[in-house]
Formats: sequence, structure tokens, C-alpha cells
Amino acid sequence: MAEAHRNETAADSEGVDRRTVLTGASGLAMAAGLVAGYGAFGAAAARYLYPSEPAKKRWLFVVEAARMKSGDSMVFRAPDGASVAIARQSESGNVGDFLALSSVCPHLGCQVHWEGAANRFFCPCHNGTFDPSGRATGGPPGEAGQSLLRYPLKLENGLLFVEVPDVKLAATDPVKPNSGEVC
Amino acid sequence: MQTPIGFVRERLPISGDRLRELTNEPVPHHLKRWWFALGGTPAYLFVVQIVTGILLAFYYQPAPGTAYESVRSITEDVAFGWFLRGVHRWGATLMVAAVILHQMRVFFTGAYRKPREINWMVGMCLLLCTLMLGFTGYSLVYEQLSFWGATVAANVAEGTPLIGGMLKRFLLAGDTYNDHTLPRFFILHAALLPMALAGLVVLHILIIRLQGVTELEFENEPEEEKQSHFNFFPDHFYTELMIGLLLMILLSALATIFPAAMGPRADPLTTPEIIKPEWYFYVAFRWLKLFSGTAAILSMGFIVFTMFFWPFVDAWIRRRTRFPEASVWIGAIAALAIIGLTLWEASVAH
Repeated sequence: MAEAHRNETAADSEGVDRRTVLTGASGLAMAAGLVAGYGAFGAAAARYLYPSEPAKKRWLFVVEAARMKSGDSMVFRAPDGASVAIARQSESGNVGDFLALSSVCPHLGCQVHWEGAANRFFCPCHNGTFDPSGRATGGPPGEAGQSLLRYPLKLENGLLFVEVPDVKLAATDPVKPNSGEVC
Repeated sequence: MQTPIGFVRERLPISGDRLRELTNEPVPHHLKRWWFALGGTPAYLFVVQIVTGILLAFYYQPAPGTAYESVRSITEDVAFGWFLRGVHRWGATLMVAAVILHQMRVFFTGAYRKPREINWMVGMCLLLCTLMLGFTGYSLVYEQLSFWGATVAANVAEGTPLIGGMLKRFLLAGDTYNDHTLPRFFILHAALLPMALAGLVVLHILIIRLQGVTELEFENEPEEEKQSHFNFFPDHFYTELMIGLLLMILLSALATIFPAAMGPRADPLTTPEIIKPEWYFYVAFRWLKLFSGTAAILSMGFIVFTMFFWPFVDAWIRRRTRFPEASVWIGAIAALAIIGLTLWEASVAH
């Protein structure tokens, strides 16, 4: 019967018959629905797999300003594991006295260390050098103009704070075996 | 010169006709009724569970010290993590429900009878696998229910005569819940049980293909529809495609309106005052409260055993007694008992 109807419709029209148009249109609508539906899911899944935006930052207390004299320095360990070299360079009493530098070399990520005799930071991996303000002076970072990352500092009521990425730390307490009793 | 489409067509000769030929399974006319197309639903949901489960595993950390925090992080920190976890959780609930509904349809239409007894038994294995996946799944969150559910389940297993102690040690990787328990549940949930389930699904479908779908007839069916068939592709394929889309809409809505929450973190020293498993274990939970340990375990084992071999029990009843349709009444009583016990457990605190 369907066959007969198809023949009749085909005979009625010269061009494309109505059944073909409807079949094509409904097929397209269904394909669009499928692509939109599963595509949205796929997009959400891709976004889920892509790491979240850079961690939010947080001000953390470092030290009482009075406890550091000009020329003193200390290493502050940020929650994300990065070590921050903090130095006092003058004693005018404002935040500009202090400098907080990342100890990660901007070239390929090795740890720099302070060389007091040469008055510079030195990276042992590829001989990168930086002046006391963190500006690259030699080696690959010097050629590329990659200075040490500076962390923002603030002074409040005589207390020094540094702004570092906020990292949520996972609980790490291991489970203790229970007695096995059940009620 | 050959067009790119021609190049692909020559190497991948796919067309509507070829697909029709490849999937040339005559589908009985009763499957035009959507209620009878429930078998594909758990299979579709299984695929959803695999996809969302793999995605969740990218962030989940299966150790007692990190599991709870990683699930919290997936739910609260990672983009769309709440959605994928919600879909996975609701997918599990719907999958269990779909398997039970499919099994009830098969039972009450007698589709398990000769020569389809083995496929019923494969179906029973699929049900048990699905339930075990549900159990190991909520054990991974490492909330109070996860910990105490696993502890109770291990002690239930211990009540099994002869092999109980061994079962408990195997399940917990020790005499009590310890650092090796959670990784064990994770491997069971994410590797062994899904592989077993996938194999069983293939076997289930293979047996259906070998024997054909059960032919059902209805009293009010027009004469020309009786014994008539239609093609799997594209007719039934489209039905399944639409069921799949409807399920995705339902899952997305459930995951958004009722997002997967988290209970308190597992505390090995304190059992919560009120503790309940997922709804599909309410029957067993109530049963354990009604009967003493070993009696409850042995009776549950007997019920599962009888369900497993029901096609042969039913054949015996039909051959030896004057009640050929007794299975319908037994099934109705069993279904009412299951619903009654579930509602009972759901309505009381203890």
C-alpha cells in the first residue's frame, strides 16, 4: 500500500515529491538534534577534562616586618610548593623595602640560588644569572629577557603578606583499621 | 579523478542497504510498542556509565586519604564535574531500574521458557553484575555510607557457611577495612565488573540473534500484524536512538534538579545513627533485619538460586502440576513482596 502511495505521489509531481522532502527534512532535523545533544555533552566533557582556570590567589602572612633588617633574606614556601625568596633591601618603612622573587628559573624551571659573593641569583642548569632585583643578566634567560617572577607584597600593621596561588590541600590522614564490629 | 567521498566509500562500503543486510534481524511487530523495547535501555545506560565513569576516573583518587576529597573536588571545583557525577549517579539508578523492569517484562510474558533458559540465566548474571557495580560504586565516595556499607556487606559475606571468612577477606583485602580495600573496590568497579558486564551483554545479544526475539501476540492485534516483522535497521534502530535521546534528557534533568550530594566523610570509629544503602538494596537490608544472620543469608541465597534456575522450576511446575500459569501468580506475589519490603524500609528510620 505504501508502495502504491509512493508511485501515486511520484506520478503527481514533476519534480521532487513531498515524501522525499519530508523524509529529508525530518532526517536533517533528527541529525541536528543528535549533533546538538551529544555535541553539548561532548563539549561539557572536553571542558571537564581541560584543567580549571589558574588557581585563585590569596594573601598569606610571611613575617613581622621589624624582624627583617636591610640585607636580610628568607625563603617562604607557598602552599603550591613553590619557594619564594623574600629580601629586605632598605628600611624606609614601606612595602617597597621588600622584594619577593620566585626561585624558579623562567628558562626551564630549575631552582636558582643566591650567590652572595657574586651578588646574583644563579641557575645551575644552563648558567642563567639574575641581579638582586630578579632581572635576567646572563645565560639563556638573559638573552630572552626572562626575569624571575615577582610576587606582590603588602604591609599591614607592621606585618608582611605575600600573594600566592591558593591551593586546596587534600586530607592525607590514613584510615585506621576499625574493630570490625557492626550493629 | 576520484572524489574524496568516492575514495572513502570505496574503502568503507557503508550504506543503508549494507547496514540493513548486516543487521538483518527480523524484529517482531510487538516491538513497535515502546514498552517492549526496554532491553536496549540498560545497554544504552551502560554506555553512558562507561563514558561518564572514564571521565570521573580522570580526577578520582582511590585511596582512603584522598578519595573523599577528590570526589568533593570533582563535584565542586572541576568544570562540569557536578554534572558528570550527577549523570553517573542517576545513570546507575536508572540502569538498575531498567534491568529490573526488563526482567519483569521477560518474566511476565514467559519469554524465558524453552529454548531461552540460558539467556534468562545470562540475564540473571547481568542483574547481579549491575547490583555489584552499584554497590562498589557508592563505596568509592568514601563517605559514611561507603565505609559502613562495605563493612556490613563484608560481614554479611562472612555469614556464608564454609567460605564466609574467605569471602570477607577477599572483599576487604584483610580482616577489616584497611588501606587496600578502596583500591580493590575501584578495580572491581572500574575494570573487572564492567568487563564482565560487557561480555555478558555481548553473549545476551548473541543468544537473542541465534534464537530470534520472542514472538508475542496480543488479543486486540489486527490479523495482518500478527507474525509480521520489520527490519532492525533503520526502523528499530531509530526507536533505540529516540529512547537514547530521551534518556539523555531525563539524566541531564535529574542531574541538574537533584544533583549528586555528598554525605559526611567516612569515620571508622563512629557508625551513624541512621544508615541506609541505595534503594535497590532496601529489600536485602530489611530482610537482614527480619531474620537472624545465617538464616537471612541462606534464604537470600536460596531466593537468588531459585530465580537463576526459574525457567527449569517453571517447566517442572507446568509439567507436573495442574497450574500451568502458576509462574504469573508467584511472580506477582514476589513483586509485591519486593515492593512492600522496599517501601517498608524506605518509610522507617530503623
